[in-house]
Amino acid sequence: MLAELINPYYLQVGSFMLINIILGISMYITLSTGQLSLANAGFMGIGAYTSALLTIHFSLPIPVGVVIGAIFAGLLGIVVGLPTLRLKGVFLAIVTLGFGEVIRVIFVNWESLTKGSVGLSGIPHMGRELLKTVKELGFEPKMLGLQNNQFIFMAIFLILLVIVIFVIWFFKRQNDSRIGRAFSAIKLDEQAAESMGINITYYKVLAFAQGALLSGFAGALFAHMLGYISPADFAYHKAIDILIFAVLGGSEVIWGPAFGAFFLTLLPEVLRFISEYRYMIYGVIIVVMMVVRPQGLIDLNVVKWIKRKTTRRGLKNGTGN
Amino acid sequence: MVLEIKKVSKNFGGLSALTDVSFSINKGEIFGLIGPNGAGKTTMFNLVTSIFPTSSGDIIFKGEKINELKPHLITEKGICRTFQNIRLFPQMTTVENVMVGVHSRSSSGVLKSVFRPKSQRQEEEGIKVKSQDLLKFVGLEGYEEVVAENLSYGQQRRLEIARAMASDPELLLLDEPAAGMNETETEDLFQLIKRIQQKGITVLLIEHDMPLVMNLCDRIAVLNFGVKIAEGTPKEIQDNPEVIEAYLGREEDELDA
Repeated sequence: MLAELINPYYLQVGSFMLINIILGISMYITLSTGQLSLANAGFMGIGAYTSALLTIHFSLPIPVGVVIGAIFAGLLGIVVGLPTLRLKGVFLAIVTLGFGEVIRVIFVNWESLTKGSVGLSGIPHMGRELLKTVKELGFEPKMLGLQNNQFIFMAIFLILLVIVIFVIWFFKRQNDSRIGRAFSAIKLDEQAAESMGINITYYKVLAFAQGALLSGFAGALFAHMLGYISPADFAYHKAIDILIFAVLGGSEVIWGPAFGAFFLTLLPEVLRFISEYRYMIYGVIIVVMMVVRPQGLIDLNVVKWIKRKTTRRGLKNGTGN
Repeated sequence: MVLEIKKVSKNFGGLSALTDVSFSINKGEIFGLIGPNGAGKTTMFNLVTSIFPTSSGDIIFKGEKINELKPHLITEKGICRTFQNIRLFPQMTTVENVMVGVHSRSSSGVLKSVFRPKSQRQEEEGIKVKSQDLLKFVGLEGYEEVVAENLSYGQQRRLEIARAMASDPELLLLDEPAAGMNETETEDLFQLIKRIQQKGITVLLIEHDMPLVMNLCDRIAVLNFGVKIAEGTPKEIQDNPEVIEAYLGREEDELDA
């Protein structure tokens, strides 16, 4: 019964969706201080390669590799964030895009370490490792009526789901606090924010590093979900993908890029026949959005509207009973 | 003495905006800084709040040299300002604007903000209460949830004052607070600044509304082309021939004489 419902293909699409949601949120965090960074694909690659190499060569457990990969990307975020502080808008975008390309070129050319453009394979696989562990403990997927590969994909999906819920919870709380107010003050008027006692250097680098850390985290998860990575996974196209999540979904509230990531991962799967024209459609989306709805689909008003609707419905049900 | 300006100069390239200006402000007084447009008044504010570095001279706050500190540290020391062209955070609500002002008087970091131990919740509650009190103080009670850009001009000016006061300043710099206000609003502003003084806050005021300045200020300094041409009580300033000349120009026959 359960076995028929669990389709590995859907679960895989769902897992990609969740990884993309983390990437969308990483874009949102840097944007919430008004910094447009296109380096997130690069940081994602850093996290992925760091964790993959550590787990392959030093047989570290996957969670340790993922955490180290994320932290390393975050530290690199501080290194890149500090000198680019003074850059605004499109200049920052260009510099960070360049940074992403440099990272990709390093992956391609440092063949002794990264195997070049062929990519790294044989990366420990999250789901299979988990299956091995539970089998050692005497548990068989058959007890749930599942086949091995169904168990693997479902485990990955559920792990990622828990992670995504935690990430959203974390940054939503951060946003509704003194830190979030400092971020949005800097976004709205940097000089006024500084005059009101906000250390803009600290908060801009903090946001940049958090974005980098989260991208690296997503990258590491990506590596252990697929078991194979190559420099092409973290190229210019990926940077644009992440940007589009925020452009389509909106970057005012955390739900915006999360929705953008959800929708844009689903779209090519639902409309298989257009997936080859994806980047053409992206181009059209950018142009149309900039003209019609520059703040993205989900903004503060939409969130308020949804909240009103749901609470009203709740009240109605309450009185109806 | 709260603030001492010692022989301060500021050059922008070859243009000297301020030349060897000195004055000092006593604790608890309302000090006026006046002068024709382009005299360097706002530049002086920008130097005190460290938005620009000084070219030479010292700015001393409570016995400590502050002209090499970063702007946010100046606020922490106890100096806060408003802006000539209103610079609120336009898409934030009124109360959020004031809450940003409390930033330098609160301390919760990332982890505390996310995991919210009791100390963070108390701090956040304190920030909220303080902000609402300040809104009441400047007469914006009932506007807490209005988005700042939807307030009227006069209300926005008062909100800026509330936001600046949220950092518990000892010295408050007001840059043309009455600009664009009608007579009733100006009268309200007069009362508000008096009440700020009664709280023990020293005020440095730039203003073009002469009746307001003359009635409000304890002492006044006059700048013209970046040079201080007079300093004294409102009475002394009004009778000073150099000040009258700076504002009204010199008579033809006086030039010939």
